[in-house]
Amino acid sequence: MGYMLSRLKSKYSRTRSHFLAFLLFALTLPSVAVMLVAVSGMMSQERAMEAAVSSYVQDLAESMSYRVGSDTDVWTFSALSNFTRFPFFSWGPSIPGWVALIDQDGRIIIASPGAMNIAAIWRNDLPVGQAIRVNDKEGEQYTLAIYPVNRPGGGYVIAAVSWSQLLGGLVGVVRIWPVLVVTIALFSFIAIRLLWSRVVMPLRTIASEIDNMTLGKDVPENFEASTIREIESVQTALQRYAQAAIERDNLRNRYVRDIVKAQEQERMDMAREIHDGPLQDITALVQQLHITLEDDNGDMKRIKRTEAIAKSVVRELRALCDELAPPWMDLGLSEALTEVAERLSQAYDIEIIADFDDDARNADIDNERILSLLRIVQEAVSNAVRHGAANEILIQLSRDAEENLLLEISDNGKGFDAGNINHETLRVEGHRGLASMTERMALMGGKLRITSEINEGTTIRAIFKD
Amino acid sequence: MVVKILLADDHPLTRSGIAEFVKREGTFSLVAEAEDGVRAWELIQELKPDVALLDIRMPGLDGVTVAQKVKSENLNTAIIMLTSYDAQQYVIASLRAGARGFVLKTVSPKELTTAINTVAKGGLYLDPEVASVMGNQDFIPEQLSVREREVLLLAAKGLSSKEVARRLFISERTVQTHLASIYDKLGSRNKTEALLLALKYGVVTLEELLEED
Repeated sequence: MGYMLSRLKSKYSRTRSHFLAFLLFALTLPSVAVMLVAVSGMMSQERAMEAAVSSYVQDLAESMSYRVGSDTDVWTFSALSNFTRFPFFSWGPSIPGWVALIDQDGRIIIASPGAMNIAAIWRNDLPVGQAIRVNDKEGEQYTLAIYPVNRPGGGYVIAAVSWSQLLGGLVGVVRIWPVLVVTIALFSFIAIRLLWSRVVMPLRTIASEIDNMTLGKDVPENFEASTIREIESVQTALQRYAQAAIERDNLRNRYVRDIVKAQEQERMDMAREIHDGPLQDITALVQQLHITLEDDNGDMKRIKRTEAIAKSVVRELRALCDELAPPWMDLGLSEALTEVAERLSQAYDIEIIADFDDDARNADIDNERILSLLRIVQEAVSNAVRHGAANEILIQLSRDAEENLLLEISDNGKGFDAGNINHETLRVEGHRGLASMTERMALMGGKLRITSEINEGTTIRAIFKD
Repeated sequence: MVVKILLADDHPLTRSGIAEFVKREGTFSLVAEAEDGVRAWELIQELKPDVALLDIRMPGLDGVTVAQKVKSENLNTAIIMLTSYDAQQYVIASLRAGARGFVLKTVSPKELTTAINTVAKGGLYLDPEVASVMGNQDFIPEQLSVREREVLLLAAKGLSSKEVARRLFISERTVQTHLASIYDKLGSRNKTEALLLALKYGVVTLEELLEED
């Protein structure tokens, strides 16, 4: 059984951890994939743009340096008056960047609009003949290329493209979406982590608490306060369940204790009855036999006395047997009730009338239930006489409107306040009578109703089906 | 005339004790002993004894059931229940089943002889001990009125006061009054005892009690 249970448990827990792992995996995998794709996409885009921009500025710088190198005029005329001859320099905002011609000392000889901030990006270690990416002081990115001018006296052509000018919003968008994706992935991770720490872990704690809990003894208390209502209600439900189990166990233990106590009491009573009755009589019988045997005359009077004692032993033992298990219960319900009524009437010296309706008299009730009903009658009559000082009792058997059998025991005793019975007090004082009547009826699927009023007598109603 | 007797009891010691009683009497012949109800019923059919002494509680068939079988088969065997139980309801049940005698096992040989002879002649014998007052042989009951006899017979069949009242067209209260008067006249304390005493004193007959209505 234990083995089966643990196997069952491990089987379920395995499925459970598989499911959770799958859930986490299913949540994690797309996030990771999207993030990786986004990062690689961003990087290749960056590389492609870099390459395009680099070759563009290199071409620009190279062709400019060639053309400027073959035209000597440019070095002699003022830059502003002549730059119309170089359509490059008048492109203005139409080209996504600028070009500038500088002499060997770094002075600008001629430049297209936008090249004014050359100083901001100029560094002495800029390599010649190759594109490079630089930032200006505002963080604006440029790719620029420097080419020497092939003429005596030297000088350089600088071509540069501003990333924001060249690609404009595209750069922003291209860069923002990986960020968004990464953010989404991050949030997913956080969510998964929260799911783990706030749901999975508390659930595991609850599971292990249930595993380690002795039902009816422990109440799991070391739960961390949960921020999740569902988990919290599971915890509360578990605690309530454990609490209820404890109460139920206590009740059962108390009940068993009561029953054991009653049993022991009964045994003691029985032992006392046997001791005071048959045992004394048989002792006397043996004594009489001894004397008779030693008496040579064979005194008839003594033998007669011996016979009388023996007969009284039989009567006492018969009464004891009748008390323990009335044999007449197998005669049927009304016969058994009549017999017990007549015996009780004789025993208590009171009037007991047993009156059974025609339609109820021949009800087919099994012995076990007849015994229960007999005990209820005994208890009710005993209570009526001992507590109510009743001297007239009516035992009726009838059927109610719903075809239930109704056994009524009503007395003319003192009665009591039926609305104010404290079963607990009665129990503690060792009076299990009312409780045991009620339990017997419940066991046979019936109900017990007690109605009583002070000075109005008591009526016990047992309602059951045949 | 010899009375053929069958004895059925599952307890060997009691059986041999009673058998010894029976054998002592010259006019009795113990034709068979049975240790359970089924065997008893077989032997009764086979041997057709005049009197069968039956224990009430026996394995197989109980004594009351065997008595019922004898009655329904119209066999000429008179039944005496021989039992340890003194419950009056057993007496009533036995008589209803057709038994003509009810004797406790503590009976003396003399009483048993009387019982056997009485039932063999078609009479009724009840152990003086089954109701303590019944031992009082000298008691002469007062005569019951016709109405009282009717009330007693109906009540003895187990009818409720309400039902008795309905059948006799009298009030329930009157039934109670009659019953009280019957108890008083017979010296009984309850219905069952009144009936047993009435049978004993011959106020009512067993046939009247067994009459179906």
